[in-house]
Amino acid sequence: MPGFSFAAMSELTEKLASLQQRLARALETAGDERALEEARAVYLGRSGDVAAIRRSIGRLPAQERPLAGKEINDAVAAMEALLERKREEIASRAIDTALSERIDVTFPAPEPRLGSIHPVRRVIEDACAYFERHGFAVVLGPEVEPDYYNFDALNIPPEHPAREGFDSFWVDETLLLRPHTSPMQIRTMQLHRPPIAIVAPGKCYRRDAVDARHHFQFHQIEGLLVAEGVHFGHLKGMLTGLCRALLGPYQNVRFRPSFFPFTEPSAEVDTTCPKCGGGAAACAMCGGSGWIELGGAGMVHPNVLREVGYDPKRLSGWAFGFGAERLALARYEVDDVRRFIDSDPDLLEQLA
Amino acid sequence: MFIPLSWLREYTDLPAASQEVADRLAMLGFPVAHIVKRPHITNVVVGRIRAIERHPNADRLQVCTIDAGDGAQLTIVTAATNVAAGQIVPVAKLGAKLPQTTIERRTMRGIASEGMLCSPDELALPPEWFEADGIMQLDDSLPLGGDAVTLLGLADDVLDVEITSNRVDAMCAIGLARELAASYQLPLRLPSFENPGGEVSLRARVEIESDDCLRFVAQRFENVRVGTGPARVRVRLALCGIRPINSVVDVSNYVLLETGEPLHVYDAAQVRGGTLIVRDARQGERLVTLDGAERTLGPSALVIADAEGPLGLAGVMGGERSEVNDATSSILLEAAIFAGARVRRTAQLFSLRTEASMRHEKSLAPALAEIGAARAAHMLLALGAHAGVPQVAGSARVQHQAIALMTGEVERLLGLRVSAQRITDDLVALGCTIAQRPEELSVTPPPWRNDLANDADLVEEVARMEGYDAIEAAMPPIAAPEISSREYDVERDAAFTMRALGYHEVITHSLQASAGPHAVALRNPLSDEQRFLRTDLAPALFARLARIGRPYRLFEIGHVFSREEGIVIEVPLLAFAFTTEPNDEPPWRDREFLRCKGDARELLCALTGRCPVVQRAERPGFHPGKCAVVLVDSVEAGAVGRADPRVERASGSSLPLYLAAVRLDRLPERALPHYRPASRYPSTYRDLALLVGAEVSAQSVEAATAQAIGDICTAVRVFDEYRGPQVQPGAKSLALRATMQRFDGTITDEEADAAVTRAVDALQKQLGATIRT
Ligand SMILES: [Zn+2]
Repeated sequence: MPGFSFAAMSELTEKLASLQQRLARALETAGDERALEEARAVYLGRSGDVAAIRRSIGRLPAQERPLAGKEINDAVAAMEALLERKREEIASRAIDTALSERIDVTFPAPEPRLGSIHPVRRVIEDACAYFERHGFAVVLGPEVEPDYYNFDALNIPPEHPAREGFDSFWVDETLLLRPHTSPMQIRTMQLHRPPIAIVAPGKCYRRDAVDARHHFQFHQIEGLLVAEGVHFGHLKGMLTGLCRALLGPYQNVRFRPSFFPFTEPSAEVDTTCPKCGGGAAACAMCGGSGWIELGGAGMVHPNVLREVGYDPKRLSGWAFGFGAERLALARYEVDDVRRFIDSDPDLLEQLA
Repeated sequence: MFIPLSWLREYTDLPAASQEVADRLAMLGFPVAHIVKRPHITNVVVGRIRAIERHPNADRLQVCTIDAGDGAQLTIVTAATNVAAGQIVPVAKLGAKLPQTTIERRTMRGIASEGMLCSPDELALPPEWFEADGIMQLDDSLPLGGDAVTLLGLADDVLDVEITSNRVDAMCAIGLARELAASYQLPLRLPSFENPGGEVSLRARVEIESDDCLRFVAQRFENVRVGTGPARVRVRLALCGIRPINSVVDVSNYVLLETGEPLHVYDAAQVRGGTLIVRDARQGERLVTLDGAERTLGPSALVIADAEGPLGLAGVMGGERSEVNDATSSILLEAAIFAGARVRRTAQLFSLRTEASMRHEKSLAPALAEIGAARAAHMLLALGAHAGVPQVAGSARVQHQAIALMTGEVERLLGLRVSAQRITDDLVALGCTIAQRPEELSVTPPPWRNDLANDADLVEEVARMEGYDAIEAAMPPIAAPEISSREYDVERDAAFTMRALGYHEVITHSLQASAGPHAVALRNPLSDEQRFLRTDLAPALFARLARIGRPYRLFEIGHVFSREEGIVIEVPLLAFAFTTEPNDEPPWRDREFLRCKGDARELLCALTGRCPVVQRAERPGFHPGKCAVVLVDSVEAGAVGRADPRVERASGSSLPLYLAAVRLDRLPERALPHYRPASRYPSTYRDLALLVGAEVSAQSVEAATAQAIGDICTAVRVFDEYRGPQVQPGAKSLALRATMQRFDGTITDEEADAAVTRAVDALQKQLGATIRT
């Protein structure tokens, strides 16, 4: 662009005014940020019109130059303001446009990315978390166990009639698939000094015919607390808390006398049927009794404490063994324990 | 065990409602599985047929004149054919309620009938166990005109009681009544346990040749008439689920249910030499048991024998040779106590489980033998038999040892304060005898309780009497012990990481049909389908994915088992597997493999805090060219890859299968990460395109590049691979990006270019790469 040439201030003033008008006209059609930048380059850029005028300022008489400089600066400020106003206008128009957009928020989201935890593990996990909050450790152990841990050390010597209650799968003369998680009581007490506070979840096996309530493979949650001053009331307290943590705040827990060779006194533990709340005649979950059987519990038998070298006169403790599937059936209102092993996507996704 | 409430009421005054009694039994430790409701029956009395006439107007009807007691006489028309004058029968009077009907006055062919003679069916008794062909037969042990419903216990509910294996003393009517009476603090009315037999001339002889017979009471009875037993006995047996057989067998079954003592009756005429001998069976001896089976015996079986040979399996089942029959007039009664373990072995040996063996194998109290014999003698005498003197053999009656119980133990173990007096009362109610010293009781359990051996057992008795409900729930004081939860934490973190990666957890069978050479077999599987312990988690995951039939992701955490040099090895494993849509990738590339590897890496990073190293490898079950092992701290932690195409085919999956298996027991403890501040200076990168031999791994290219660039290299990543017409056969083109950054200043272009030159040089020298331009 050829340099401007002007002879007098009046001409300068006129030129600046004309530039401003041209910019204003150019901006009328500018629709976006890019058009603004282009206009700015033409008029106010390094090689733009105003810059050319500024370069020609030297031709003016020296005494007029400061005034000319001021006029140029004023014009630049005015043009910048014009641009800024336009920029603001464009931005607010863009926001208005954005605000006017409407989508169908009910359109389906992509497939879920999260997988799922098996409902039986979820029950075990929640039970363990409850006990961990109360200072218990969680220990795991083998599924193939010698009869010593399964029976002998638990006050069930060979020929004891109670062995028949544990119809077990044998691997060889002395090894079997554990029919309960109670071997972990012995393993833990032999490995550690009292006090002991553990839960031991895991798979167990019994030669039970498979039906809606039974399976030859299942999970137990074993608990053991041994210390000075531990009594049956504490067992009730902890297990009531467990049932409430897993099944809801209004659960009641019932303890009935029972027999296990490794506890004395022994108890069967029931909790209120969460489906009917206790005793609806037609309830399919509890058969109308109002109670769900969870498993056995009791004070650790003195012979068991002696077996691991603990003094039963000084220490006392309790243990329990609950069926995790029983809890899961009640918790998720599942009708058949076999569904847990079939593990259809349907079940996994519903109970995720 | 089925027990009619009417039987229990004979010994103590129980509450009327059967549910209340059932609840109390449950809270004593004897849960009632269900209450068998008896129908409402009223106004049935014991009557006697005084005379019978043909109905004048109907061939098939008879008109009976009935003595209904107190001189009352009823005319009743019946169609039954088994009636005869003199019979004592149940008579439903007008207004009587029976299960199916109410008795009203009816005129039958011109004669008004004032009631009905009842068949077993009409009294809700199984007809096939009674007079199947007509009117039920009572007997003169029942008072004429008496209320048959009460006398026979027809309307009282029956409880199905579960009895734990330690309480064999409660496996009978008297045992349960004893518990209830103690709990309700009611008096107990027991029948006489004195043996009435006294005819010295009737001697029974018994010889014990085995230590496994603790006690044996033998008693001889003469003038025994074998026939239909008394109605009261037959009805009780039937309500208990036991079929009445004949008057003598019914007595032995009745006493079993009443006292818990199993009895056996021999036809005395068939006992050669007249002496019952308890001994081990001899090798090869034969015995036909009452179930008709001929059994070959050996010394492990304990038998009752005579001079000729075995008469029965001790405590399990009698034999046919000495079975009582209609012609029997002289019997030998056995009331014995055998060692529980020996009876269990014998029963198991022959797969026989009887009411007798079920009790014997739980070790009966020796005192029970004489009680059982005495009760049977009373009943047989009532049937007109003559009873000899009971002959008792075996060890002298053993008194239980006294147990010392510190009264403080009750509160220490239960958290329930019970006074010494109350403890004493509770134990005395259960039959214990007590000598009291300050703070310590010396407790001798009653002879029938074999299960009370120590103070904890006595504390349970106090708890049962006080009621478990009386114990207040409390939170325990727990001093957190230092036991590690690490194995569990690893499992839990692994499960939740797999979930976050999009996998669904399954729990599959640990027992399976077939397995490899190292599989652990079960000795006693339920079926061939479940004969072996699994050696691998993959087959079950593949089978499930095949069944699902669409792209899906599964994982399982579980133990696998193998036998190595005789030792069973058990390993905790995590396996995950997924199916994808079929893809048409070239044979040298598999993006799904990379996804599988990536998931394994994320899992291992999450569990160990370390980045695993991946190496090409071949592992069984995996595609040989699409398999890698992952190493953590140089330990092989697992394998990833595409399933072997043969495995894929066998699984029935129509979709490609990918698998990873991780040994959870081989993971090091999680390393704590430490924070390193990022450089304040910008990073720069250079991209390179190279041609290398097809066998050169991306990993080696990255490593050589990083090493050549040196300290300023922050990352090298191969991001593209190409093989095809643009490059010569046997070669591939790789694109990689090297990122560089300094902590002490901005990297200059010259510095970055020089680094790349070093890298190119190294790649050429070490891997034969050429740079593509
Ligand atoms: Zn219910």
